[in-house]
Amino acid sequence: MTYVDKPPVPNVVKFDEPNAKKRNKLEVMLNTGSDIYQGACKKRGSTLKDEYRHASGTAYMDPRDMARLGVKNWDKAIVKTAWGEVVVFVAHSRDAPHEGQIFICKGPWANVIVSPETYCCCDPTYKGVPASIEKTDEEPLLMADLMAEVYQKYKKAEDDSNKLGKKPDNNIDWY
Amino acid sequence: MAYEEPITDYDYIVENCTCAFCGCNCDDLVYLVKGGNVKGELEDNVVVSGYVDGGHVVGVRHACRLGASKVMEDMDQRLLVPMIRDAEGNLVETDWDTALDKAAELIAGSVRPVFYGWSETSIETMKFGLELGELVGAVLDNQATICHGPSLQAVQNAGYPVMTLGECKNRADMIVYTGNNAMNSHPRHLARYSTFPRGFFRKRGRFDRTVVTMDPRYTDTAKMSDIWVGFEQNGDYEFYNAMRAVLRGKKLQKDVISGIPKEDIEELVESMKQAQFGALFFGLGLTHTLSKQRNIDIAINLIQDLNKFSKWNLIPMRGHFNVNGFNIFMAYEQGFPYGVDFARGYPRYMNGETNTIDLLTREEPDVFMVIAADPGAHFPSGANRHLANIPVIQIDIHWGPSTELADIVLPGSFIAVEAGGTSYRMDGVPIYMKKAISKPETCRDDEWIVNELLKRVQKIKGIAPREASK
Amino acid sequence: MVEYILKNGIVFDPTNNIKGEKKDVAFSNGKIVEDVSSDAKVIDVTDKLVMAAGVDPHSHIAGPKLVVGRLYRPEDSRKGIVPAKGVTRSETGFSVPSCPATGYRYSRMGYGTVVEAAMPPLEAKHTHEEIMTIPNIDVPALPLFGNNWFVLEYARDGKVDELAAFVAKWLKLVKGYGIKIVNPCGGEAWGWGMNVHGVDDPAPYWDVTAREVVRTLAKVNEKLGLPHSIHLHPNDLGHPGNDLTTLESMKMVSDIKKSSGVRNQNLHMTHIQYHSYSGTNWRDFKSGAEGVAKYINSNDHVTCDVGQITLDETTTMTADGPMEFDLHQLNGLKWANKDIELETASGIVPFIYSGRNSVHSVQWAIGLELFLGIKNPWQVMLTTDSPNAGPFIRYPRVISWLMSNKRRMEMIENREVHKAVEKKSSLATLDREYGFDEIATISRAGPAKAYGFTDRGHLGVGANADIAVYDLEPNNIDPSVEHEQIEKAFGNALYTIKNGQTLVKDGEVVAIKQSQNIWTNVQGLEAEEAAVMKEVMPVFNKYYTIKFENYKVHDHFVSNPIEVKVQAGKASK
Repeated sequence: MTYVDKPPVPNVVKFDEPNAKKRNKLEVMLNTGSDIYQGACKKRGSTLKDEYRHASGTAYMDPRDMARLGVKNWDKAIVKTAWGEVVVFVAHSRDAPHEGQIFICKGPWANVIVSPETYCCCDPTYKGVPASIEKTDEEPLLMADLMAEVYQKYKKAEDDSNKLGKKPDNNIDWY
Repeated sequence: MAYEEPITDYDYIVENCTCAFCGCNCDDLVYLVKGGNVKGELEDNVVVSGYVDGGHVVGVRHACRLGASKVMEDMDQRLLVPMIRDAEGNLVETDWDTALDKAAELIAGSVRPVFYGWSETSIETMKFGLELGELVGAVLDNQATICHGPSLQAVQNAGYPVMTLGECKNRADMIVYTGNNAMNSHPRHLARYSTFPRGFFRKRGRFDRTVVTMDPRYTDTAKMSDIWVGFEQNGDYEFYNAMRAVLRGKKLQKDVISGIPKEDIEELVESMKQAQFGALFFGLGLTHTLSKQRNIDIAINLIQDLNKFSKWNLIPMRGHFNVNGFNIFMAYEQGFPYGVDFARGYPRYMNGETNTIDLLTREEPDVFMVIAADPGAHFPSGANRHLANIPVIQIDIHWGPSTELADIVLPGSFIAVEAGGTSYRMDGVPIYMKKAISKPETCRDDEWIVNELLKRVQKIKGIAPREASK
Repeated sequence: MVEYILKNGIVFDPTNNIKGEKKDVAFSNGKIVEDVSSDAKVIDVTDKLVMAAGVDPHSHIAGPKLVVGRLYRPEDSRKGIVPAKGVTRSETGFSVPSCPATGYRYSRMGYGTVVEAAMPPLEAKHTHEEIMTIPNIDVPALPLFGNNWFVLEYARDGKVDELAAFVAKWLKLVKGYGIKIVNPCGGEAWGWGMNVHGVDDPAPYWDVTAREVVRTLAKVNEKLGLPHSIHLHPNDLGHPGNDLTTLESMKMVSDIKKSSGVRNQNLHMTHIQYHSYSGTNWRDFKSGAEGVAKYINSNDHVTCDVGQITLDETTTMTADGPMEFDLHQLNGLKWANKDIELETASGIVPFIYSGRNSVHSVQWAIGLELFLGIKNPWQVMLTTDSPNAGPFIRYPRVISWLMSNKRRMEMIENREVHKAVEKKSSLATLDREYGFDEIATISRAGPAKAYGFTDRGHLGVGANADIAVYDLEPNNIDPSVEHEQIEKAFGNALYTIKNGQTLVKDGEVVAIKQSQNIWTNVQGLEAEEAAVMKEVMPVFNKYYTIKFENYKVHDHFVSNPIEVKVQAGKASK
């Protein structure tokens, strides 16, 4: 069967990196896309389950970056961009090395933080979005909770927590 | 992965089924079916025509992890009955008539409806969808808008030198994957079409071919390649320009371009020139970065230039099994590939204006119908937030992120397993995907659902159904 | 059963030797009948021009090439936009119209049958899907055989019987009508970025020449007794000096005996205008129409269609892949290419034909020279190789040129075309003008005969009631002077009647009819076919990327076909 608890990832080994200084926050480039675990889980239809949260709501990082941030596999982190913020797991990227880049599979988690800007060519900017990543103790939300929390389509009016913030201006200046 | 025992507990075999996952549309799948009665002909335990009524698929042969996962779906999350959201915000089960009437009412009463999706359903379903769209003046758009839309624009700028995948299999001695991780997104692409198969002129398969991957990440595909070109993030445009310059005999002024030493670029170009038959496959890595369609423009120009020296073709790595089908279908029906707006009584296609993401960020639509797609999972929240303001009708087979935003849910059936239909492979080869088993009793075929919506909207609007249709 | 009678029209029906008689045409149940009762509905067309509905022998209207054209040329789609109105849906496109637009426009011109001239077997389902989407016209499709690996191999080994069984089988699989050959061996050479030149240049690896392929397929065609002859797009399209290749291509099949009772030819040469260039390069390029016309005039085993340049911005598309790449190198416009595994190549390039350009103008003149130089109108047919030389909606204009020497001279003298026309072609010396009878021959009767259609292209009793009425009074018009009138009338039929149903009235589409596919079912070779499939299947399984079960065109894609049954080896009547 194709069910997995969470995608298999390499173990993080300690790097003797003279320049590696522990930091609380890293400025990174956010990439999104698909991988086989996310694809299998999504199209099988298991999106309500914990498996999807691990397959899709995980930031894959270069192990050096992980060392700097002081996180290990399946720790939690908060990723922020100009478009929003979301709590995800972190894990050792199978595609490393890619220092300074994080990869989050497409899905409701990545959606919160990617840019809807199409520059008049229909396709949002899913890749190459400047982001920051910090360690956190918050738990990544399951899909249904995340959708309810982010979009608040059926929430009562008194609950006004909003993960998306103000709608960004079209004339963004960070490029 | 742990070893799993082969599946032996099945009653029937259905052969030559088509995989309804990615644009590879592998049509050699074998479904192992348990239970049910065969409606059709049976030889030994192989169903040679017809389908198994009441059976369910317990195993799939030949499929990759992705294909297998889709066919062996998660029944826990299968949508089985129509649902309507009540005042409390809970989805409540209802009957087909109520749900369809409500949906038809919303569509008929809307000013700017958007029908998004279509890439995971059949051409036959699209026919009814288009008729409905023309009737109410909707925008019809598909997943190309968030994946290969820029590729299509580049095609409109620069050209479209393509081939069918068999050309690559039989002739290619050099394969380039760029901005695409085929091992993860199209797992059988290398095995069935490009790299490993033994082709007519490439009898030794993998050994007769050179594989190059161009990607900022050292992906699983890069790991299988002979050459990995790891250019910088957002460096694609510069890199391809440099390749083109070298190809045209220019000297590069910089020593390192997009993170790649110029000697490496020169060497790569030389070997691409020397190839007898080259194939370039490009993916979303090129369309989603900042330069979007310009990346593809330059890649297409590169291929055109290479044809002066040797033979090169390209194929966009289309993601869904029928995303190409919708573009082809819309083009032959109404002249434009995607993002077609019928609001003015004639088809209009303006990139950045009549596309779903742009419409949603401008908060234009007042009814959104999503069929066989999942904007909840794949649209940026900046676009999705408008779906919280308007009624959303969903036609799908599983409870997914979009269901969380949907007001009316119409459970469809699974094309290529529970329903037949036409699809177009990434290279434009049409395949009739056959039905292998019957659908769950309470579900309906997508074709039927959209046709019902059409009939009901026609009734509301007092329009006679089109005779002999198209 | 409703009966109809078209009253008092001036009828041109070359097949039945009716040349402008004032005559009634009666029909009921979709067929032309001898007479009808007094209850028949009368359609008064007093003194108006009446012909059978048009038959287009060669046009590209459905299939993968067309879709690429539409996908990658939104600028063309935007050009022809007409909003939905009445029974019609919206139209788009000028040179590559959408499917509904294609049907409506042909219907408005009084056409009833259009042959889709190139169908790659692997993507035949696509072609048939589009045929189903095109309304109002019947569409046979010709599958491409000229660069098919199995064909190359059988032709090399001279295995006519096996190839005959193969072709018979493949026509059934893909629901095709006849044998189309495009740049034989050149398409395969394009698999390696090469081309072949002339009929004796072998394809790389396969070691077989165009001569062998064409001759073998011609023998196969006659052995099977297909209703149409082989349909040849010869080598060297668009190259100066290709007139010699063209002459050789015709000569090399002259000894093969035709086996059909309907048609006269054993070879149909298509868009022959593109193949009648003399000279050695674009500088000394001049018309070679005279030699080609001379051969056709003295040999009745050939028919041709012209592929007349209309001097428009258009989209060239052909299965001749290498030619399209050359064209792209020449004009620099966006190049599309589509190679189909084991079967064919193809290419697409937009092209702007201009009267200010000397080469384009001479090409324009060559087409007209052929129309005027070929004496027997049954051997030459009206096409623009749509959309290659111009979109099919320009047929009325071509008709007006053919009927008016005055107009042609006006174009030459007013410099609507380049002055090279006078130097490099003999058009200015040809003062022949077509009459309505000849127009009816080149646009209906001739193509129908060449395709072996007996149920259309004429108005004899028993034929389909496919009728066109034009708003012209042949006895009261001088086409030589009133050429604008001619163009307008042929573009907007007064009535187009298809299978007895009025589809167009006063130039407007008033009804929609589902189109029908016409295909040839060869019978009597079942054992041979089975034997050949035993050889074919191992190769098929190994080198195609699709399973055989999913290769064939399922009945689903031909919902309403017209099946032409042919007994192999027996001449049809």
